[in-house]
Amino acid sequence: MSALLEIRGLRKNFGERTVIDIDEFRMARGESCVIAGSNGSGKTTLLRIISGLEPAHISEYRFDGRRETLSPYPDRLRHAIVYVHQHPYLFHTTLRHNLEYGLKCRGLPAPERARRVAEALEWSGLTECLQTPPAKLSGGEKQRAALARARVLEPDLLLLDEPTANLDQTARQHTIELISRLAGGRTSVLIACHDQELIRLPGMRVMRLEDGRLTRSNGAL
Amino acid sequence: MDLLEPTRQAFALLIEGDPELLGIIWLSAWTSTVAIVLIAPPCIALAFVLAKKQFPARRAVIVATQALLSFPTVVIGLIIYLLLSRRGPFGDWGLLFTPTAIITGYMVIAFPIMVVFAVSAVQGADQRVYETARCLGAARLRAALTTLWEVRFGVVAAVINAFGRAISEVGCAIMVGGNIDGLTRNMPTAIALETSKGDFAQGIALGMVLIFVALLVNVVLAWAQGEGGLK
Repeated sequence: MSALLEIRGLRKNFGERTVIDIDEFRMARGESCVIAGSNGSGKTTLLRIISGLEPAHISEYRFDGRRETLSPYPDRLRHAIVYVHQHPYLFHTTLRHNLEYGLKCRGLPAPERARRVAEALEWSGLTECLQTPPAKLSGGEKQRAALARARVLEPDLLLLDEPTANLDQTARQHTIELISRLAGGRTSVLIACHDQELIRLPGMRVMRLEDGRLTRSNGAL
Repeated sequence: MDLLEPTRQAFALLIEGDPELLGIIWLSAWTSTVAIVLIAPPCIALAFVLAKKQFPARRAVIVATQALLSFPTVVIGLIIYLLLSRRGPFGDWGLLFTPTAIITGYMVIAFPIMVVFAVSAVQGADQRVYETARCLGAARLRAALTTLWEVRFGVVAAVINAFGRAISEVGCAIMVGGNIDGLTRNMPTAIALETSKGDFAQGIALGMVLIFVALLVNVVLAWAQGEGGLK
């Protein structure tokens, strides 16, 4: 499989403390990975660095074979990589506007936006919530809306931060079901979590992050 | 002092639509509105930068803007007067004692109110708003506008507060406007003048209009805030 993301020499310090120290990190196109690790191990920070939200020292960052510098974060990566927060934020507008937001940023025409939004609503099972203000959605519905909002953009790499945290059993199952469908598609998915069910999803490569270092991987490129 | 008669006369002036009174109200309304419309975009942009960006003089700019809140408006009027007076650097423009001078004064007075309130509103925005917008592919400007939209109630409150301050301002308006009948006489300066002359009817009528404007501004603010407003 060809490499989608290759990072070498990644260091992140908060003051004197080194929170991430990774020599090499690679993901293949279409691959799904889980980064497991205890709280404070650096999982979220790693995802935020990859998505350009957190600065870090990186010797080499390659995306789709092309070397990139992350400061400033290139628009190419901003359109190819989508990060979803642990507690996703939905804009206080409408669900449709939330799903359309990234498509508008990419300049897609209205009919194409409408088609993709309708498809994403159906995919996430949120069609009936279309008239519900985003603030009134349940935690599980918000997570599904955030996944649909990310999926609709058809990114090359989707970064999910603890997508099943703080969800009840039903909402968690819905979310895992959506992620398993995402993981089987063309989009590469990188998930930071310690949810055993997500870790055990078929085809999922599992890495462990301990004190900022990748210590174990059940598969390699 | 008999207050009933001047109050009755004040109502009569308002009901009859006294042309002089309407002219004064109109001048106040349009000068305040133009000032706020002109100063709002730069104020909101500056507030966003102050709230979200880190740069060396940031703290100093915030403190200076907060200090301007307590700056006496009459001193602002004095400074603008000196700048616009015939011997001042902008004397050739002939703006002193014109509505333009009043608008300039209103803009200066509104500036710190709008910036300080808007900074507070933007600082209160969830950090995830800007990040989410950026992660979904928004350019910086679009992500900034999205953030402002998410805190629109606070930003609208900043604008409305500044408008309320401008339309009721008297010291600066007298200094740079000169309270010229039919040209620069607005509601607060007319109230001050008519009261000093002992003509309470017009003063009371204009006072009622100002109070109505203040109430209207607050009603509009509460309506604009919707569910985000005070419960």
